Amino acid sequence: MRIEKCYFCSAPVYPGHGMMFVRNDCKVFRFCRSKCHKNFKKKRNPRKTRWTKAFRKSAGKELTLDNSLEFEKRRNIPVKYNRELWSKTMEAMKKVEAIKNKRQARFIMNRLKSGKELEKAAAISEVKKNIHLIRAPHAGQAKQLEDKMVQKLAEDVEMDE
Amino acid sequence: MALYNFKKIMVVPTAKDFIDLTLSKTQRKTPTVIHKHYQIHRIRHFYMRKIKFTQQNYHDRLSQILTDFPKLDDIHPFYADLMNVLYDKDHYKLALGQINIAKNLIDNVAKDYVRLMKYGDSLYRCKQLKRAALGRMCTILKRQKQSLEYLEQVRQHLSRLPTIDPNTRTLLLCGYPNVGKSSFINKVTRADVEVQPYAFTTKSLFVGHMDYRYLRWQVVDTPGILDHPLEERNTIEMQAITALAHLRAAVLYVMDVSEQCGHTLSQQLELFNNIRPLFANKPLIVMANKCDVRKISELSEENQACDRLLAHRVDTKMKTKKVHDVLNRLHLAVPTKRDQKNRSPFIPEGALLRRKAMETNAPKRKLERDLEVELGDDYTLDLQKYWDLMNPEEKQDKIPEIWEGHNIADYIDPEIMKRLEDLEQEEELRAKAGEYDSEEESEDEEMKEIRQLASQIREKRKLKILSSKEKDTQGSRMPRTAKKVERATLEKEMADLGLDMTDKDDSHYARRSRSLVRKRKREVSAPPTSRTRSQSASRPPRDQSGVRDAKMLKKVKTMMKNSQKDMNQQGRKGESDRHVFDVKPKHLFAGKRKSGSTSRR
Repeated sequence: MRIEKCYFCSAPVYPGHGMMFVRNDCKVFRFCRSKCHKNFKKKRNPRKTRWTKAFRKSAGKELTLDNSLEFEKRRNIPVKYNRELWSKTMEAMKKVEAIKNKRQARFIMNRLKSGKELEKAAAISEVKKNIHLIRAPHAGQAKQLEDKMVQKLAEDVEMDE
Repeated sequence: MALYNFKKIMVVPTAKDFIDLTLSKTQRKTPTVIHKHYQIHRIRHFYMRKIKFTQQNYHDRLSQILTDFPKLDDIHPFYADLMNVLYDKDHYKLALGQINIAKNLIDNVAKDYVRLMKYGDSLYRCKQLKRAALGRMCTILKRQKQSLEYLEQVRQHLSRLPTIDPNTRTLLLCGYPNVGKSSFINKVTRADVEVQPYAFTTKSLFVGHMDYRYLRWQVVDTPGILDHPLEERNTIEMQAITALAHLRAAVLYVMDVSEQCGHTLSQQLELFNNIRPLFANKPLIVMANKCDVRKISELSEENQACDRLLAHRVDTKMKTKKVHDVLNRLHLAVPTKRDQKNRSPFIPEGALLRRKAMETNAPKRKLERDLEVELGDDYTLDLQKYWDLMNPEEKQDKIPEIWEGHNIADYIDPEIMKRLEDLEQEEELRAKAGEYDSEEESEDEEMKEIRQLASQIREKRKLKILSSKEKDTQGSRMPRTAKKVERATLEKEMADLGLDMTDKDDSHYARRSRSLVRKRKREVSAPPTSRTRSQSASRPPRDQSGVRDAKMLKKVKTMMKNSQKDMNQQGRKGESDRHVFDVKPKHLFAGKRKSGSTSRR
């Protein structure tokens, strides 16, 4: 039993799911669902279809070159079963997975960081331009004037006294 | 030479069929349309053509028959004799002769009538001539009916004769009926001759083939021969005699030692002596069959017979002049020994072991099948026990293959622990360098305020855009002053913008303008007092007319409500209301194709 990768979107294809297409040149294509299969039949390039992992990796939206990604590699020569090795591998797998997720998240966060700056600048300009929609220009001025007058009167009264 | 191609003889049709065939062919293959106003040479040519065509057909067919059937003088004497025995040489020759005569007669008829046709002067005359010619030809053939039937039977039988090659190596079995000749041939070759307890089961010759010393041998089985003089022999026995007489073969004279065939040993010996002259110049083996007492295996008999025949053949070959040619071509090459080292042929160890194992009855190891039989229902095929692992106690482990969407086999690597260590070290370094520290948003109050204001602005803008979209741009456009602005809305709006609108009673917009002052007071008008009004007031309302008491009223009300229920539920005004409010509801037809069924589009 193996979990394969969909040719189009790189999603995991579990056993009993999806379709497999074998071409005349003996190349095998697996698809996770009819969406990918239909897109393939329409001869769409997965590297240009925005929602696929292939696009995301080729456009630099996700982590591509990393040591933690080298652990999961399809090996063509099977290794004989050895309980110790298998159990060690399982532990290692979990750790590697954790590290990989952390690194992938960090990568995406870094990418989105520049957006924060833009957001800040956009907010400032928005406020500058359109403040009149929520606040009248002389909003608190009447009160201020009143306060000033009261203050002045008080001063005058004091001075009189 | 049509020696052994007896199967290729064309079918001989019956006289009637032959005539029908030829006449219909004439009708189809020659032109059919002729008129009496045609020129006479054309008419003559037309009918001459028909006569010649018919004659040609008969001639061809009969010649073919004559050539197909073998001439008894041309074929091997064995076959000639066999055919004589089976079909009577005289009758055969006579039949063929008759066919030949018929052919010549037909040719003559055609020739005569064609000559006569030259003097036909009208269509009718020519036609009669043609008719006469064709009629005569057909009559000639009708007279050959018997010959044709006989020849057809001969052809059928001939095609079923066994193909015995008189020139190749042959073994001939002969003896009394029921001694076991057919059983012998069944055993030795792939022939399937009928074996039965009654005499004369085999009624004709049968051939089988076998291999010995890389050569093909014919084994010929004959019907049994009884002991009487040659003249009194019947057809079946004559076949055996013919075979004996003509085939250069090793003769196996089969004797029944147990006398089960019904004839004593002395009788068999008598027969042997009688047909002895036929064995001249042929290697002879006397075969003692059905012996349960003595252990003479038949194989050795056969070996001897073959060897003897081979030797005999070699001898005869040596005596002929061909010997020198053959000898020149024969030379056995042996490599010269360069030293005294013994180079014996190589037999692999496995072959030797297997040979030894075949000889000794060593106890076999326990097979899966034995285990299955032993356990019965509890048996499961467990191939894991044959695995070759480093630690054999791990053989029964259940090996995990998948974890959380990843194949474990993809991670298996003897150096995985080392690599994991390196990775973890790297990760530590990175963490120390501060890569994973979450950056606190060190935003001051000002920034937060700005953000809040920006969000408010955006919201306000959206609302304004929406309300502007709801405007009716197609309709008539009224000036702004046409609509009266309510004081409350104005004050609310300004308050939202942050201005103080608390006591604005004497502001310019709140004071009642002169329009209101100038309005005159309207007087309260008196209600009309007419009769119709008072009458309508005294009548009971409709939903209470005809209703006796409160209970009935309640029931009536529920009835009314019930009858309206269906229509209300469907949202229809009445029966004829077939309006659909939403033909294609958006929630069923819009949206992305996510994982799931897409059959409802």
